[in-house]
Amino acid sequence: MYGLGLSAGLPFILNQTSAALAAQALQGTSIEKHPNRILVVIELSGGNDGLNTVVPFGDAEYYKARPKLGIPEREVIKVADGFGFHPSMVGFERLFKDGSLAVVHGCGYDHPSLSHFSSMGFWHTGVPNGGESLGWLGRVADETLDASQRNLIVNLGTSQSLAVRSRTHSPLVFDDPARFRRDGTDAEKQALAELSETRTTSNATLDFLASTAHNAAESSDFVRRASSAYRTPVDYGQGGGLAGNLQRVAALIAAEMPTRLYYVTYQGNNFDTHVQQADLHSRLLMYTADAVRGFIDDVKRLGRGDDVALMIFTEFGRRVEENGSLGTDHGTATPMFIVGKSVKGGFYGKAPSLTDLDDGNLKMTTDFRRVYATMTDEWLGCSQTPAILKGQFETFKVFA
Amino acid sequence: MTRESLRPLLVVLLFSVCALTVPASAWVDPPDGWKGDLAPLSASDWNYQRAAHLIERAGFGATPEEISRLAAMTPERAVASLVDYEAIDASALKPFEESGIWDPGMDPFPPSRAEAVRRARAHGEGLGEKVLPPGTQRRLQPVVDKFFYSLTANNIETQRLGLWWANRMLVTPRPLEEKLTLFWHGHFATGQNKVRDYRMLFQQNRMLRANASGDLRALLVGILKDPGMLVYLDNGENIKSHPNENFGRELLELFTMGVGNYSERDVREAARAFTGWTNDVLAYKFDSAEHDFGNKTFLGRTGALNGDDIIDTILAQPVTGEFVAGKLYRYFVREDISSDVKAELGRSFRASGYQIKPLMRRMLLSKDFYSAPSVATQIKSPVHLVVSTYRKMGLRDVPTIPDFGRMTGGLGQTLFEPPNVAGWAGGRTWITPATLLQRGNLFRDVMFPDVKGFRPPDRAMSATDTRVGERLAQGMNITEATREGDAESNKMVDRDEDYNTRYGGYAGNLLAFKRTKQIPRQPASIDVTAMISGAHADTVDKVVDHLVHRFLSVPLADKDRAVLVSFLRDKLGSSTVRPSETLESSLRELLYLVLSTPEYQLG
Repeated sequence: MYGLGLSAGLPFILNQTSAALAAQALQGTSIEKHPNRILVVIELSGGNDGLNTVVPFGDAEYYKARPKLGIPEREVIKVADGFGFHPSMVGFERLFKDGSLAVVHGCGYDHPSLSHFSSMGFWHTGVPNGGESLGWLGRVADETLDASQRNLIVNLGTSQSLAVRSRTHSPLVFDDPARFRRDGTDAEKQALAELSETRTTSNATLDFLASTAHNAAESSDFVRRASSAYRTPVDYGQGGGLAGNLQRVAALIAAEMPTRLYYVTYQGNNFDTHVQQADLHSRLLMYTADAVRGFIDDVKRLGRGDDVALMIFTEFGRRVEENGSLGTDHGTATPMFIVGKSVKGGFYGKAPSLTDLDDGNLKMTTDFRRVYATMTDEWLGCSQTPAILKGQFETFKVFA
Repeated sequence: MTRESLRPLLVVLLFSVCALTVPASAWVDPPDGWKGDLAPLSASDWNYQRAAHLIERAGFGATPEEISRLAAMTPERAVASLVDYEAIDASALKPFEESGIWDPGMDPFPPSRAEAVRRARAHGEGLGEKVLPPGTQRRLQPVVDKFFYSLTANNIETQRLGLWWANRMLVTPRPLEEKLTLFWHGHFATGQNKVRDYRMLFQQNRMLRANASGDLRALLVGILKDPGMLVYLDNGENIKSHPNENFGRELLELFTMGVGNYSERDVREAARAFTGWTNDVLAYKFDSAEHDFGNKTFLGRTGALNGDDIIDTILAQPVTGEFVAGKLYRYFVREDISSDVKAELGRSFRASGYQIKPLMRRMLLSKDFYSAPSVATQIKSPVHLVVSTYRKMGLRDVPTIPDFGRMTGGLGQTLFEPPNVAGWAGGRTWITPATLLQRGNLFRDVMFPDVKGFRPPDRAMSATDTRVGERLAQGMNITEATREGDAESNKMVDRDEDYNTRYGGYAGNLLAFKRTKQIPRQPASIDVTAMISGAHADTVDKVVDHLVHRFLSVPLADKDRAVLVSFLRDKLGSSTVRPSETLESSLRELLYLVLSTPEYQLG
């Protein structure tokens, strides 16, 4: 259907999917207003320096706070009045000029935590300063997607993110598709399939393991074949982890995987740039911009450009003032990005003031859950958005 | 303990004893009332199964004969044999043999390639290498090559160090010492990726081991003055004029108190107190010129506080005892800790002056430790999974085909390379559909090793470096050989005419391969046939029961046992086990199935 599908040998997932989707569309489940739409979320872990990503070159305060790390105005890729991208983000410049990239200013939450783990947890759950145990994307799936269907959530990474933790869905988590398989002879595999049946015992950990084993057995063949067969002429750049992972997402989309929610992490705490930030940050931004630009080009090539939207976030920005080690310390508000062919590009929200600070940190201007709500409501079409996000959040009219 | 001298005899004698006296079905459910009860287990409740649980958690599992020996003691003696480990002679353990990759010009090591180049430009030399005369092509290339050499050589030394430690875990007569050291390594997470100096990690590893069961204060002082940690948390950059909060924040959040028990102001004040705590390469150094001697207010205490005062103030907080004891509990006993148990363990830990050993003794002897929610409910960490499997197989050397670091790394745990400052999250986070399949596959590679196709990671180049090498071999010049792709990123690489980064990566690899000791490669010497004949398992049923007994911490359902029995019967064509050329291979296939079950992930 989309050119590079791998439907041969995988009818079980596809048939089930189309039938289930059709049934849900008939019942009018809200998310199925757009049964083909896919949301890809990219996590920039470590706390990306928003001020050196979307540079407020028009504000002299920026250069006062960043005497050594500030990006000189002549180097900034200017895309709006007073704002521009870091010079290494040529990929974002292209997307912005195509009208496919929206920047949302000043995203954060009240009473921000400067701890990676706490703050990332708040973004993962979508419940700042709360004790929620499920992820916001997990709750999207719980509220709107048929729990009998498998693989509606895919998390590319070495371990499962809290963001996709769900009550009723078991996200598919993998890193290297080539190793996502059971080794052995046919007889061994047959025996192992029987040993991987789900269990109901008094040991909840054992039941969890058995159910994961069962899911792994069903899904691994599909993922592996989809990835190994995938060829694309699109260049995703050299950004190792992220480029590779986004290409894997494209491969699964090409193979018509039923996945609606993809979660992609940038490995490690890369963006935690306390020391000697300039070179490292420049490289990370270049990788990110190249990989995202490549991915958007690739899904367009697959004929799925209209069906895919991508959201980029980080757990916090950095402090306005640079530190003494040519780096920046943990901060608060930071821009988010929404990318896709259906996006109405431009700037949304209000940029935080660089002088009216909270103890040296930016005061957020956009509750990040407004962006989440935009993705769940405006993009995926979930009428249950207030229940998912545990509150009413005004959306941005980002989608055409 | 004279375990070493008795081993050959025990192997023969005890196999049959335990196989006969403890059939695999003899799992006894502990009473419900034990849950949350910190009172010691009585001698009458002590048995093989509980001894197996003890050595699984306080060590890395054991062979049936070792477990039988523990089961023959009283619970107090058994726990003491693990906790009072200083009494056990460990001098036979092999020291780590360093390759000697470092030369004096490499200290202090620059934070980035760009900084190395800046320094070399300014001084005419860098990393012990002279810049080439003006007019020479790529004048700075020797420095850049050396920089990449250092990265690769340190990576290789760290791999060797990880293998050395894994061997120690496998053969040590003091298993709790290594288990605690591994715990502290995750607690005080420090990674080679950032430190880029294996010597610091080795030094930290010895410090953690020396203090593993001592008192928390010594451990905290040790880690806060540890060069590896000071570098990992950037405390060299924590100076009077620009305090860097990383160190203070992680001390409070991850090492001692946990989030929510202090304010942002406390973080900043702690950071000020630790200004000037830095390192001179491998030694701690107090730089009084960079220390802020001013007044600070930390957790309600005001004065010209220094780092030691901060530590004392932290240790005076009841929450510190609960936080650290609670983390030890979650690591050794089970994930969910009741508020009563946490409060009691925290209180007694603090009251003892934060002595770790009595805390360990109390936890490991408690009825709670042997209660149903604690037994076989923990998901083995990758390092534990691999080491304990080798221990249960009776191996005396960690096999190097497949590679140990690759095995555990693929499952999410590389020694000396924790994912971030919080260490490994553990528990269910180890398990994804992909890692669960890998957890079984690994042991197929161990039992059916691909010796011919094996590519040693300590001599492996990245795809890019390999390509550069191939092109140079074809006669291309450096610029041509290092050209890649057409993405925006590539157009920005190597514009500097003074050196070529890609070539530096390649040349650095070659030099590192020359100067590091290569890891000797050998597959495991497993003998499953000997294992089952030692247990007098002469029928298919007995073989399955013995392997289940030897390797699993929970019983297998009848249905699943039947799958294994019929698998082996089909392989052998009989219900009786007779010597044959293919017997060992069939038994290994069966063992692969046992080690791939969901049950095997539980320790």
